[in-house]
Amino acid sequence: MAVYRRGYQRYSGGFTSHAARMMVIPRFSWERILEQKFVVILLVVSMFWPLLCAGFIYLANHTELWQGFDNGFKKFLNIDGRFFSIFMNAQSVYALILASVAGPGLIAPDLANNALPLYFSRPLTRGDYIWSRMIVLLGLLSFVSIVPGILLFCMQVGMAGGDWLWKNWYLGVAIVAGFALYICIVSLVALTSSAYVKWRVVAGALVLAFFFLLTGAAEMINEVFRVGWGSTFNPAYAIKTVWYWLLDLDIPDDKPGPAECGMFLIALTGGLLVLLARRLRPVEVVK
Amino acid sequence: MSPVIEIDSLRVKLGRREILQGISCRLGVSGTGKAIGLLGPNGAGKSTLIQTLLGFHKPFAGRARILGLDCHTQAREVKTRIGYMPENDSFIGNMTAVAFLRLMAEVSGMPRAAALEKAHEVLFHVGLGESRYRQIGTYSLGMKQMAKLAQAIVHGPELVILDEPTNGLDPAARQRMLQLIKEMKEQHGMNVLLCSHLLTDVEQVCEEVVILKDGKIVHQADLEAERKSNRRFVQLDVTGDDRNLINALREVGADGVSEAPGQWRIVLPADVEIGSLWRLASRERLQIRKLTHRKDTLEEIFLKAVGHIRQTPGASPAEVPAHGRL
Repeated sequence: MAVYRRGYQRYSGGFTSHAARMMVIPRFSWERILEQKFVVILLVVSMFWPLLCAGFIYLANHTELWQGFDNGFKKFLNIDGRFFSIFMNAQSVYALILASVAGPGLIAPDLANNALPLYFSRPLTRGDYIWSRMIVLLGLLSFVSIVPGILLFCMQVGMAGGDWLWKNWYLGVAIVAGFALYICIVSLVALTSSAYVKWRVVAGALVLAFFFLLTGAAEMINEVFRVGWGSTFNPAYAIKTVWYWLLDLDIPDDKPGPAECGMFLIALTGGLLVLLARRLRPVEVVK
Repeated sequence: MSPVIEIDSLRVKLGRREILQGISCRLGVSGTGKAIGLLGPNGAGKSTLIQTLLGFHKPFAGRARILGLDCHTQAREVKTRIGYMPENDSFIGNMTAVAFLRLMAEVSGMPRAAALEKAHEVLFHVGLGESRYRQIGTYSLGMKQMAKLAQAIVHGPELVILDEPTNGLDPAARQRMLQLIKEMKEQHGMNVLLCSHLLTDVEQVCEEVVILKDGKIVHQADLEAERKSNRRFVQLDVTGDDRNLINALREVGADGVSEAPGQWRIVLPADVEIGSLWRLASRERLQIRKLTHRKDTLEEIFLKAVGHIRQTPGASPAEVPAHGRL
C-alpha cells in the first residue's frame, strides 16, 4: 500500500547495534561531502602522485633498464625510507587541503541549526558524536594517505620479493602509523575549527593557518632564545620527526627528538579533544 | 503498574545554583498512552527537568527513571525508547525533510530500509507529505514545528517529550498539533510529557499535570478527576457590602473566596445554575459589575500553585499549608 494511504504506525521492529548507529553519521556525511565537486576533483588529483610513485617503483624494480647508469643514479632509485618519506610529505599536503575543505562543514551546521540536542537525545553520547565526525575525516583522509601508501608498499613487496619485505617490513608499519598520527591530528584540528568558527571559508583557512602559525611561532622561539627546542611546538616538524623515526631516517641532533615531539603531539591531541568536548554540549549552561 | 517517569529526591545544580531542589514524583502509567503536563512560571526548572530526563545534566543527588531505567546510568537504553521535540529550532538546514528524518531514525537505531519508510510515513502523518523533498531550512515556522514533531516520533518511542510544541503556530496549526498529540497517545499508545506555557493546550491534551516553581513541585493534579467533578468556576466582581456573600453561597451549595474587596472566585457544583448567583446578589443588595464563567480548572490550579491566588474556592484553608503545597 502507498505510504500516503497507509497512515502512521509506531515502529515495532528491532534496532541496530551501537556500532552500526555510529556509522550512520559518517555515511550521511560522506554522501554530502562527495556531492562537492571540489572534493571529488581533489580526490582525483591526489591520486596523481601515488601513480607517479607506482611508476617509480616499477622502474626501480626493472634494473635491466638502468644498466648503463652510474651507481649514484642507481642509489637514487632505491625504494627505502627516503622514498616513502617523500611520498608521505606530498600526500600529507593533499590530506591537509582535503581536511580544510571537508572538515568545516561537519560540526558548524549542527551548531548553527541547534541540532546537537537532537543527536544527544538519541542513543549517542558526546564521545560517540565526536568519534562519528572523526570517522568521516579519517575515512576521507585515509583514502589519500594510508590506502595509496599501503598499495605502493604492497606493490614494492610484490615486485622486490620476500627478501625486501624481511629487511623493510617496518616501512609498512611506518606508513600506517605515521599517516594515522597525521590524519588524527589534522582531523581534530579541522573538527575543532568547525566547532568554533561557523563560516566555512574562515574555518577552512584556520585549519591551514594552524600549521603555518605554529610553525612561525616555533621558529620565533628558536630565533629569540637561540635554542632548538622551540621546534617541538611546531606540529608539522613534530609529525615529520616522528615519521623520520618510524622510517629509520636521520633526525638532526640539534633539534627535538621523536620522544619530545611525540609527547607534544599527545598533549596537542588532548588539548584539541578538550576544546571539542567543551563546545559540543546538548545545551548551553549559562553560569 | 510501573510509572513512566519516576523522580526521587532529584537535585540538579548548574554551576553553583541549585535548579531542581529535591523533587519527587511518579508520573503516568507505563503502556497506557497518557499525557502529562509540565507547567511552571519562567525559571521554575521545567527545561532543566526535561534535560535531566534526557541525560543532558547529571543529577547532583537523587535519581530520575524513565520506564524503569535510570536516566543517567542507563542513558543509552532510555534514549532508545524516548523521543524529544526541543523548544527551539533544531534541524539540519540544508537537508531535505526525508533525509533529515531518515538520519534521525537511523541514529535512533532503525535499520536503513525501515528508517526510509518511516520517514515518508511520518511526514505524511504530520502533514508534510507534499513538501518532504524540500530543504527544512526553507520551511515556515509551523512546518518546522511539524518536522520537529516528526523526528521525535519517527522511531516509535514509548515516551515523547514535547517542549512548547505549539510555539509560534497559528490557531489552525495549533489545533492540528494538539490533535496529533492526542492521536499519539490515544491511537498509538505513546506517553507524552508536554511542557507548555499555554494552559489551554495542557488542559486539552493532558490527563495529569505537574506544576513546578523555584525548582520544586508545588502541585500535582489528576486533571481527569478534576474534569469528572464537573465543577464550574466563576469570577465575580461586585459592589456593595459583600460580607454575607460567603454564607449566602453556602446556602445554595456553592463556595467562594474573596481575593480583594468586591472580587470573588466562586466554585459552583454541577447542579447549581449561574442564575442563582444573580438571585443571591439581588437578595444581598449587591451590584454585579463583572461575572466570568468558565469550566476549566487548570488556570485556577496553576495560579494557586504559583502563589498568584491564595486559595482555590471550595478548598478549606487547612488544605493549603503555608508553603503552598497541597
